[in-house]
Amino acid sequence: MRRDRERMRIDRPWLWLGLIAAMAAIFAADTLTNLEIAVAVLYVAVILISVRFDRPAIVIWFGVGSAVLTVLSYLLTPRGIQETGLANGALSLIAIGATTYLALRIGEAEARVRQTQAELAHMARVTTMGELTASIAHEVSQPLAGIVANGNAALRWLAATPPDAGEARQALQRVVADADRAGEVIGRVRNLVAKAPPSRDRLDLVALIEEVLTLARGELRRHRVVVRTDLADDLPQPLGDRVQLQQVVLNLVINAAEAMGGLETGPRDLLVGAASDGRAITVSVRDTGVSLAPAAIEQVFEAFHSTKPGGMGMGLAISRSIVEAHGGTIYAAVNHPRGMVFGFTLPVAGTTLDRQHG
Amino acid sequence: MDKPAIVFVVDDDVSVREGLDSLLRSVGYAVSVFASVREFALARRPDTPSCLVLDVRMPGPSGMDFQAELSALNDPIPIVFLTGHGDVPMAVRAIKLGAVEFLLKPFREQDLLDAVRVAIGKDEARRKDEAALAELKERFATLTMREKEVLAFVAEGRLNKQIAADLGLSEVTVKVHRGQVMRKMGAATLAELVRLADLIAGQERAIR
Repeated sequence: MRRDRERMRIDRPWLWLGLIAAMAAIFAADTLTNLEIAVAVLYVAVILISVRFDRPAIVIWFGVGSAVLTVLSYLLTPRGIQETGLANGALSLIAIGATTYLALRIGEAEARVRQTQAELAHMARVTTMGELTASIAHEVSQPLAGIVANGNAALRWLAATPPDAGEARQALQRVVADADRAGEVIGRVRNLVAKAPPSRDRLDLVALIEEVLTLARGELRRHRVVVRTDLADDLPQPLGDRVQLQQVVLNLVINAAEAMGGLETGPRDLLVGAASDGRAITVSVRDTGVSLAPAAIEQVFEAFHSTKPGGMGMGLAISRSIVEAHGGTIYAAVNHPRGMVFGFTLPVAGTTLDRQHG
Repeated sequence: MDKPAIVFVVDDDVSVREGLDSLLRSVGYAVSVFASVREFALARRPDTPSCLVLDVRMPGPSGMDFQAELSALNDPIPIVFLTGHGDVPMAVRAIKLGAVEFLLKPFREQDLLDAVRVAIGKDEARRKDEAALAELKERFATLTMREKEVLAFVAEGRLNKQIAADLGLSEVTVKVHRGQVMRKMGAATLAELVRLADLIAGQERAIR
């Protein structure tokens, strides 16, 4: 926990360094030039940029710091007309104060946008989970069936004459494994419907994708989809919100399954891939369902646009906002010989990730 | 007839499969498990009473499809369905096609064991009937052409005198043939002989 916090503190070190260097430069210029030249106004740029930290306290510190440095420069500057310098300094201070206030308001507004977005994403997740209820019930009833069979078998092996402890032990081991499995399913559901603030962690995308496929297994089976995966094992770990990215993958997988569910003939293959070229990670979901027309592809990510009967048209729009908030892009293309590919890219951690607000 | 009954289990979930395997073995059945209907279809089945415990929803062909396939092939193996999420129309369809039972997962142990017992019993009864019929056919095959003719007339309820006239034989000869037929077919009474003749006729009609 502490290590995480320390990492948070040196989060985006280049931004810190840049801003502090800029302040130092402005301070030097302000002090070395004559009093009449109001270099201190440039502090407003630093304050506006500091909004990117998403922390009101940091904005306030930059604002106060700018004001203090402005006063300090005024006192230290050797040359120039005192009255003009005083007026300029006062104007600079007013500008700095006003900018700090505006920067705080911008930060608030952005935080509100992010919160609304997170709530919308949460709602969509809960809705999706509602649609998956039958599938999840199946995922739980399967281990329960295993527990019933294995538990009763163990009782019978123990009641036999002579009791067969070996068989009973094996059966009981399977009971325990099944109970664990049922517990894991419930844990995954709980994670996905839990309301948690967006977080930025290093993500194991392979594990993330596999978890989603487990959750959707019942649904995939219902649509008689054959799932294959092609997940690179040396995938870099991007920074991001696990639950939100799981939601994106879940969305793409369920869309693909539903697109193939209506097929009369032909294979129903789903291929989930994850690969990296060093700068970006690409996750793709290929189906062999119906291909969309190019005009329709342009619209799929728009809100309230749905090609599914009874669809709200929110899934892909929310997926896009999640992916873009992670500094990535979402895409759709026609798969050959049939079906669609939906996927998204994420920047590899360390390249560009200061676009948290989108 | 005393060979142990075999229960075939087809379920893609390894834990359910192994659980059923253990449970059914613990009550004394021989068990053979498969992960898909394809595997089961390729398996050799010994000639002993058996039944199939079949999961409905699996990747690839579903249990319901497979039931239709088996019934198209005239494969009489009794089926007990297990399913994680079944609905009424599904159950109705399965039972109409001859399934013994349609159980929802998680099932009660007793329900499953009862269903398996009924299914095995059904297969046993069918095998007994088939064996009896086969024996009857063997007996029928030992009859001469003339005896078969006489049997056909007897089964129609004609009197010895009438048969003698129809076939241009003496009544005594007809009586001798009829005695031979009764003996060869193992029938103690005329009524039994008529019933056996009907069984064979019914079977031949079914084959044609």
